Amino acid sequence: MRGIGWASLNQERIVLGLAVLLFAAAAVGLPGFLAPDNLIAIVRSVSVLGILAFGMAIVIIGRGIDLSMVAIMAMSVAWYLQLLNGGMSDGPAFLLVLAGVVGIGVLNGVLVAYADVPAIFVTLASGSFVFGYVRSQLITQDAVALPQGHWIELFGGVRYLDIPVEVFVFAALAVLTFLFLRFTKWGRYVYYAGDNPMAARNIGMPVRPMQVLRYVLSALIAFIAGLLTAASLHSINTRIVNSNLLYDIVLVAVIGGIGLSGGRGGVRNVLVGAALIGILLNAMTIIDIPTLYQNLIKAAILLSAIVIDGILNPRDEQTAQQGDI
Amino acid sequence: METSVSDVIIRLEGVTKAYRGAPAVRNVDFDLRRGEIHALLGENGAGKSTLTKMMAGAVEPTSGRIVHHGNEVRFASPNEALDAGIAMVFQETSLVPSMTVAQNLYLGSEKFLNRLRGIYISAQQFLQSLNFPVDPSAMVETLGAAKRQMVEIARAVHHNAEVIIFDEPTATLTPEEKHHFFALVRRLKANGVSIVFISHALEEALLISDRITVLRDGELVASGPAADFDRASIIAAMVGRTLSGELYQKRDETALRKPGRKILSVQDVSMSKIVRNNSFSIFDGQITGVFGLIGSGRTETFKIVSGIYKRDFLRGGTIELDGEPVRYLVPREAVKDGIVYITEDRKSEGFFETMGIAENLFGGLLASDREKSHIVSMKEMQALSAEWTKHLGVRAINDNARVVELSGGNQQKVVIGKGLVQQPRLVIFDEPTRGVDVGAIAEIHQLIRRLADDGLAVVVISSYLPEIMNLSDRILVCRQGRIVEEFSPAEATEEKIMYAAVH
Repeated sequence: MRGIGWASLNQERIVLGLAVLLFAAAAVGLPGFLAPDNLIAIVRSVSVLGILAFGMAIVIIGRGIDLSMVAIMAMSVAWYLQLLNGGMSDGPAFLLVLAGVVGIGVLNGVLVAYADVPAIFVTLASGSFVFGYVRSQLITQDAVALPQGHWIELFGGVRYLDIPVEVFVFAALAVLTFLFLRFTKWGRYVYYAGDNPMAARNIGMPVRPMQVLRYVLSALIAFIAGLLTAASLHSINTRIVNSNLLYDIVLVAVIGGIGLSGGRGGVRNVLVGAALIGILLNAMTIIDIPTLYQNLIKAAILLSAIVIDGILNPRDEQTAQQGDI
Repeated sequence: METSVSDVIIRLEGVTKAYRGAPAVRNVDFDLRRGEIHALLGENGAGKSTLTKMMAGAVEPTSGRIVHHGNEVRFASPNEALDAGIAMVFQETSLVPSMTVAQNLYLGSEKFLNRLRGIYISAQQFLQSLNFPVDPSAMVETLGAAKRQMVEIARAVHHNAEVIIFDEPTATLTPEEKHHFFALVRRLKANGVSIVFISHALEEALLISDRITVLRDGELVASGPAADFDRASIIAAMVGRTLSGELYQKRDETALRKPGRKILSVQDVSMSKIVRNNSFSIFDGQITGVFGLIGSGRTETFKIVSGIYKRDFLRGGTIELDGEPVRYLVPREAVKDGIVYITEDRKSEGFFETMGIAENLFGGLLASDREKSHIVSMKEMQALSAEWTKHLGVRAINDNARVVELSGGNQQKVVIGKGLVQQPRLVIFDEPTRGVDVGAIAEIHQLIRRLADDGLAVVVISSYLPEIMNLSDRILVCRQGRIVEEFSPAEATEEKIMYAAVH
């Protein structure tokens, strides 16, 4: 930790503080907020969002962005269910879809890493392509239902101590992502390449293969999130691709303090961001604030978190380069 | 020396500037007279930049007074200072890369209707009057460092500045560009412009300035007419110790290291028009100094050797490592073969700015094959860092101090360490002491010598002749994309080397 007092107030802590404040206020002011059911509902509501945000975080820390996640999440599962409904047996269908998901991840990564196309355009285009192609060629309706008695449906019904299975998957992925980023060589590479890609390349890190790996990971994480969604809703609605879910994913990742300029942040930041958004959405739903205003409030909070971080931790020459005074 | 009050353009009285409580400049008095060249010297972190930024309105003093033409002033921004006739040419240029030279010159003073043709013509005339060979319609991003600086200087002159502050103006210039620069500075002086000149190059300060002020640790340690100083006394004031003798001394034949086994053989290597049919060899156990002017292809040649750039696919020549032909597609392959390149531009491709010293050093290990395990151990990182910060003499509060917060010398040591933890066989240093303070230069030179003594093949690329003469066991001179001549330091003189580099 560097600095004391005000200087140590970074975006992560501000957002954590906000979440605690909001939690306390809601606990006092809103009837039924502290009920166990409601608390579980909060965690459950951000599980899928948080899982998607882990994938996004891995990409953003490596100085990229993946805007195709929601399309991959919905369309891969829709295609999978369509294959099952068409009578294909489970194993081959799953492997086929998995290959498709990895393929899109590799395509994103190769275009960003080897063709040097900006990530924002590559993934925006590949997301639209995945949506358009699957919707027009592979499935017949917007929503695809889960076949009766399929393992995903059973999986979605699993409860332990009244806690739904999504929460466990969320927790497991949090631990896995944390272990990957913190304790594996390739996880550490993500930070070096995100901080300074040129320097990382020059000291001999495999910068480009790493970039491909990150987009494959985010695609796989999107697929897992899609399966979980289908498990709890017993179907997948592809119209989610055109919702503001993508915006919420970036919000959760960035609001917790994962720097869009790369190299900074980790799983903890995603958890903090997810906590704030979960509590906020739940409270707003209890008070019955319309969705339009919910979006407005979320946007205002994101903006203020970034501005406050900018004021408290300026990154200009004066304070950053104390050596060159 | 008596001077009337009207002669003093600007005077700083007892100024102090503290960052987060730590004073960068402490109670310094400084004045600048009309038409004088005042050199401001000191190690990195001595407070030179901060002091001048206070004059130029970029930094506000914590305490003390700034008196401009007899009136106390407080500049809230560099623009206010510029309006008062005080311009600063920064170390890192503040030009807009995506605009043309002429647009940059007139930036902020555009008329409502901005005719491009008109400003190109007047910019052309203006640049010619300064004798700057810069095309006004060229994009700034396409210009090299020296030309960018010319534009920057032209902009200051164009604003009719009465005071121009140059922060390390000659660091990126080739010798002949320096001559142009000094001629310009003298012309400005003749026109009554006062100049503050911050530099690491002491000869330049002695050559050009009328007065010299030396800072150390934010305090003024010496000030007076340039004639009262010489190299040794300035260095003594800067570092508080005398080391000029040991830092740059001529070497005789017997002290030179003998070449060991030939490790690298480069034949006819070409890369577009920058490197042309370049051939040379590098040997174990000695330091090969490579001298060349900017644009001579010396950096590019060694970036090809270390896999950062790719040579031409057809007729690109051959590179042999230990007699085996190699063609690296990425630096990773070169690192695996034990070739490490240490960059001249540590900020943009050297260190990792969000990380601490330990993580920066550990990055080198993680990238190399020496780290077999796929699981990273923080304990290993701390141990490595403790060992290497001691070995390199990095001075910081602790190993987790962020590298951007260190002085130039310490940053450079970390960047060097990051390469050395990979245990290379061939180390290429590109401008190892650029932007590094005098004390750290000696330490870095010592480190480089130790590597050669340990039997490694070492290459030092530098545009500073005393450094080349002092470090090298053999000297290669690069011109127009190829090595044109080889010298032994015992027989070479600065004149001979320079002659080979320019003709």
